[in-house]
Amino acid sequence: MDSTPEKINTENKTQEACVPVCGEIIRAEKWKDEEFRKIRLAFFNILEDTEEARKGAVKEKNKTLAIINNLTDGILVLDETNKIEMASPLAEIFLRQGKEKLIGRNIFRITSADFDLTPLWNALKGDKKAKIKRLLRKEITFGNKLSLEISSVPLEEGVEGKETVVILHDVSRDKLVEAMKTEFVSIAAHQLRTPLSAIKWTIRMILDGDIGKITDEQKELLEKTYESNERMISLINDLLNVTRIEEGRFLYKLEPMQMEDVVETIAKNSADLLKMKKINFKFEKPKELFPKVSIDKEKVGLAIQNLLENAIKYTPENGTINISLDKDADNIIFKIKDSGVGIPQDQQSRIFTKFFRGSNVIRLETDGSGLGLYTTKNIVEAHRGKIWFESEEGSGTAFYFTVPILKKRLTNSN
Amino acid sequence: MKVLLIEDDKLLRDLLAKKLINNGYVVETAADGEDGMKAMRLNTPNLVLLDIIMPRKSGFEVMKEMRADEMLKDIPIIIVSNSGQPVELDKAKEMGVIDWIIKTEFNPQEVLQKVKKIEQELFKN
Repeated sequence: MDSTPEKINTENKTQEACVPVCGEIIRAEKWKDEEFRKIRLAFFNILEDTEEARKGAVKEKNKTLAIINNLTDGILVLDETNKIEMASPLAEIFLRQGKEKLIGRNIFRITSADFDLTPLWNALKGDKKAKIKRLLRKEITFGNKLSLEISSVPLEEGVEGKETVVILHDVSRDKLVEAMKTEFVSIAAHQLRTPLSAIKWTIRMILDGDIGKITDEQKELLEKTYESNERMISLINDLLNVTRIEEGRFLYKLEPMQMEDVVETIAKNSADLLKMKKINFKFEKPKELFPKVSIDKEKVGLAIQNLLENAIKYTPENGTINISLDKDADNIIFKIKDSGVGIPQDQQSRIFTKFFRGSNVIRLETDGSGLGLYTTKNIVEAHRGKIWFESEEGSGTAFYFTVPILKKRLTNSN
Repeated sequence: MKVLLIEDDKLLRDLLAKKLINNGYVVETAADGEDGMKAMRLNTPNLVLLDIIMPRKSGFEVMKEMRADEMLKDIPIIIVSNSGQPVELDKAKEMGVIDWIIKTEFNPQEVLQKVKKIEQELFKN
């Protein structure tokens, strides 16, 4: 285009007569050309930008898809009418169904090639209009084959009833491992306890005179053997408890309980032992009825028992042990205070460590697994509580732990 | 009262049987679940003392079979076992088991007391 003026020049033989008019035309042409050039450039720039944006969007989309396709969870995206817009490859595998039978279909009408999907629908179903409800972690099992943890959330945060993402998380392996561990502990308990119960029963029956008369000397020896065996049983029980804690499934059944009742049961069980050591024991019951706590009562009982047994073991004859309960806004606080040997200052940081025993108590009482406080701490923490102590060697120890007050009660009282 | 004791450990079986016989009970013993089922079908007991982990047929299988049998379904069962995880205890409770005794936690005298208590309840009418 820039060569146009020259072209005009060569075509016009009377160049001079033409100058004023042609000059105008040439200027106008030049101006137009310049404008065209600019427009074209702008247009190309826009095209280029659009192309780049498109490429960027495709790249982002591929990136997101790659992430979704490689997630270890299955993902389903549903539109507002519950039709499946997108299904990740893992979702197809979990539901045992190809994309063609999932995409565009209502989630409540899809089928699986392998099993009934009713549990999935029941988990997802919201109100009567069959809207998907917001769901966080509900575990469902299809036959014996597959256990999924299902979550569903609105695609746009806070906008319910529009697009929804359903996340399917496979927990089949966890379930299997859990079942295997239960079996292992069951068999270990059986194998370890059986010979001990045989010893226990035999000695007990001889001591009870079921087999015939025995001399006082025989009786005394057998009683000591019986006690040794009891210690072994208690050690095995401690070990089994630790195994269960480490499996992370130590808490079994949470139920609303009065801490006062749990303490009372444990204190009653230890009455003989307290009497034998002539310990001045007192459980100061709270003056008012405290709110309930949600606990596994066997386990909290075990925690209290461990603390009480330690207190009895390490408090000299005629000493004192006091248990009391207190509360703050969120917790029930358990306290047990003894006038025992105390915990040496330099060892206080290790007191809750597995198998740890204080140097002063090893000298005093050689038995003990060093698992009691470790177990107790784990039980308390599994209940979202805290445990701590104050102790001075030679004058005594006070252990404290908290258990959160049942939330419902808390709301009511507020 | 007739007690059927199903326990695979011979020493424990003999000890508990002796304790019960000494206290006037009629005791029949079986060394595993399979023999236990046969024994109770031949001679219906008033009470079954049942171990859990046993060869051939476990305590849980025995319970299941008993509960499905018209003749045996109402016989009271006490589990005398060394396993005893909460999940197992709940399962047994669902099957109507009266009590679960962990062998290391009880001695034969205490098992006897439990048997006596059930006897009183069974024959109070």
